[in-house]
Amino acid sequence: MDPFKGQGGIQMLLIAEQEAQHIVSNAKDEAEREATEYRSHIEEEYQKSISENTGSSGSNVKRLEEETNAKIKNLKKSTSKVSSEVVDMLLKYVTNIKT
Amino acid sequence: MNDADVSKQIQQMVRFIRQEAEEKANEISVSAEEEFNIEKLQLVEAEKKKTRQEYERKERQVEIRKKIEYSMQLNASRIKVLQAQDDVISSMKEAASKELLHVSHHHHLTLTHHDHVYRNLLKDLIIQCLLRLKEPSVLLRCRKDDLHLVEHVLDSAAQEYAEKVNVDPPEIIVDNQVYLPPGPHHHNSHDLYCSGGVVLASRDGKIVCENTLDARLDVVFRKKLPEIRNQLFGQVVA
Repeated sequence: MDPFKGQGGIQMLLIAEQEAQHIVSNAKDEAEREATEYRSHIEEEYQKSISENTGSSGSNVKRLEEETNAKIKNLKKSTSKVSSEVVDMLLKYVTNIKT
Repeated sequence: MNDADVSKQIQQMVRFIRQEAEEKANEISVSAEEEFNIEKLQLVEAEKKKTRQEYERKERQVEIRKKIEYSMQLNASRIKVLQAQDDVISSMKEAASKELLHVSHHHHLTLTHHDHVYRNLLKDLIIQCLLRLKEPSVLLRCRKDDLHLVEHVLDSAAQEYAEKVNVDPPEIIVDNQVYLPPGPHHHNSHDLYCSGGVVLASRDGKIVCENTLDARLDVVFRKKLPEIRNQLFGQVVA
């Protein structure tokens, strides 16, 4: 009987141990790969939301500008109605001398 | 026990040991797989958590930046409206300033009703200055264009003042060397100008009563500014 034949089981165990170590050490690489995938997905979402925000903030600026111009237009329109009264009032005070 | 039995028993033991080894190898493999999954899960979750926190921080910064930008734009918008209000108010003063020229504009050859109005205005301005100065002798400056009108009302102004405060009529010396600047012209609008009125001073020059139409407009404008604002923008929400 071959005395080394019985060592097959031990060999099997050694190989199993080595493979186990290899599997566990692979966990870090696998995790890194998954984390990188996740990160790029999140980055993509983030960039998407930023470009959407930029668009909406641009329209906000435009709206604000339009509102401001409308206010100023309104202001000029409403003040033009009373401007002559104001000028008359100023002239009245300038030319009415209290002695 | 013969050789065959011994051999059979040994074979049985070998099979048993091999089976044990296989089971153990299997266990090691399963355990490694479990350990792999746990380790990987922990690493992935830790990294994901870190990534999430980082991007949450980034998004908060973006939000803050957005709010700051909008606040600045809102502020700029308010300033623009306030500037427009200031421009309107300034234009009121400019319009009044232009109107003052009509008040003091007169014809040299013929005395019109308009000239009588301005002449009386000059007289009242002189009296008001005399009342403020309360001096027995004063120096008067006017525009060269107004000199004949001023000379026309000088005595009556002094007399009226004297009657009001019950004193002798004061001596009024008209400065024939230095005149107040003329009214503004379009071609040199940045030069010194005077729309009319007079400046009186005590003989030593220490007390001055500036009663030009422009000076009066400045005073009235400053004094009436809240009223003007209310009249112009009372109905407008900035």
